Amino acid sequence: MRHQGNPWLTSNLFVLGIGILPALLMIGVLLYFTAWAFAFSFTDLALVGRKSVEWSWVGFDNFERLFTRRGFLESLWTTIYFVFFSAIVGQSLLGFILAASLRGMRGTLRTMIEVSIMLGWLVPDIVAAFLWSATTSDTGLINALIVVPLGFQPVNFINDYALAVVTIANIWKGTAWSYILFSAALDSISRELIEAAKVDGATMWQRVSLVILPIIRPHIATNMLFITIWTFTYFPLIFAMTGGGPGRQTETLAIFLYNQSFSRGNLGFGSAISVAMLLIVGGLSLIYLRMLREPT
Amino acid sequence: MQSGIVHSRLTALALTFMAIIWVSPFTWLLLNAFDTSSTGQLAWPTTPGVGNFVAAVSGDSGRQFINSVIIAAGTATLSVIVGIAAGYPLSRLNIPGRNAFLWALVLLRMLPAVGVLVPIYFAAQRAGLLNQLGVILALTILNLPFTLLLLKNFFDTVPIEIEEAAYVEGASLWQIVTFVVLPLSRAGIAVVWFFTFTSAWNEFLLPLIFARVQDAFPMSVGLYAAFGRQGAINYGFLAAYSIIYAAPAIAVYFLLRRNLNTGFAGVGVKG
Repeated sequence: MRHQGNPWLTSNLFVLGIGILPALLMIGVLLYFTAWAFAFSFTDLALVGRKSVEWSWVGFDNFERLFTRRGFLESLWTTIYFVFFSAIVGQSLLGFILAASLRGMRGTLRTMIEVSIMLGWLVPDIVAAFLWSATTSDTGLINALIVVPLGFQPVNFINDYALAVVTIANIWKGTAWSYILFSAALDSISRELIEAAKVDGATMWQRVSLVILPIIRPHIATNMLFITIWTFTYFPLIFAMTGGGPGRQTETLAIFLYNQSFSRGNLGFGSAISVAMLLIVGGLSLIYLRMLREPT
Repeated sequence: MQSGIVHSRLTALALTFMAIIWVSPFTWLLLNAFDTSSTGQLAWPTTPGVGNFVAAVSGDSGRQFINSVIIAAGTATLSVIVGIAAGYPLSRLNIPGRNAFLWALVLLRMLPAVGVLVPIYFAAQRAGLLNQLGVILALTILNLPFTLLLLKNFFDTVPIEIEEAAYVEGASLWQIVTFVVLPLSRAGIAVVWFFTFTSAWNEFLLPLIFARVQDAFPMSVGLYAAFGRQGAINYGFLAAYSIIYAAPAIAVYFLLRRNLNTGFAGVGVKG
């Protein structure tokens, strides 16, 4: 074992080793669970009943069911819609625009905006779900404040436009992360560089696309990586707002997984869904990580 | 230059408008929480009072608050202890395979919790851990890649020369760790503790599948159960409950605002 020749460490290697042990054990358990999820996906294990004890191997049946039965592909599509519009377009773009327009701005307006978008980020998921269910119901804030005074019939947004409402709720909830990340990224660009581009006659669009974006590219990739993974597997907000409904309109993969595993009790099929999710998330991560490493 | 001023005024106007939209749900929340006869409308309280808050801390709701505190503080404390015990050796020793292990942690951090939900439930059921202890253990395990990486990074910033000096003065390993290393990485440990506390406080999915009776619900599941229930919705109570539930998470952030920035820097994907 190599060491830096620090006697208080080298004479206590045993104690230090004992210290690492619990963490090693827990990481081992996590890896073991992951392996287990893979193994379960080839069984017909159930939550209750006979098949919760006398389960058997069923080969690729569960994976076949992903594509032959209704549910998985629809959920995948809903998830892609949700990730694309709420995270990639909504949070990222809005976060970037906010970071760019608040850059160099000081004073109460900036503080006010930062605090208000941070509040969205900080409130627990279920509080956000309650707020948005209450404000978008047929007697809620939007109807009372805008729709009814304008002389229209109240609209039950949460029911009639469920997917759009949860998408907007997630933009409200999550933009702060992208904002903070882009704000830090923009701060790292020197003012002289942008001034120089301005002097050389670059338009605002050229300054953004040819100077700023290439510099903050790693930050964009990092941001994409995190928000895609989070949003792809995000469960509480949508579940508490709609439960996946009405019908299956807002049943993203995380909710589909929950419903199949714990409402229907098909743990084997549920595991196949989680394996599929892990593979998709893994694939997306690889793409983003490549984007992160590639030299500009 | 005139157009520049007009332009910036328009930007300011748009930003103000956005800020108003962003905080309007909170305005609604506050007004309803302090209205004892709330109807869920955006209106000045007709019978202002703190009755809703009293209701939200008594009976089942009070029990749920305590459950949340137990789960969040338990998870944070256990994570920090396990993280320190492993983070210090990992930071100081050149153990073979250390880098591979750290990279494995980075990858595990990306792992979505829902992906291992079924095995976690299954294992907890078999081990008789479908209770708060089970939630604490499961959350600690799921958070460990994150806390361990963060703590290791904080220990890396403690100069080893100070430890050397303490050793020369005759301090033992135990004394070096408790009197030199831990005090110097106090800020980092606090960040990790509060960060884990907040994420366990907000956690919904695990308690949802682990907690079987209303007595065992933390606030996340309690709030969900209360507004998901059919029938008349008591907006005033739910608003007060939401405020009490959200307050610790928000308070932690504003208390640690400066420290958190260094924390975020420490968890970059550099590993």
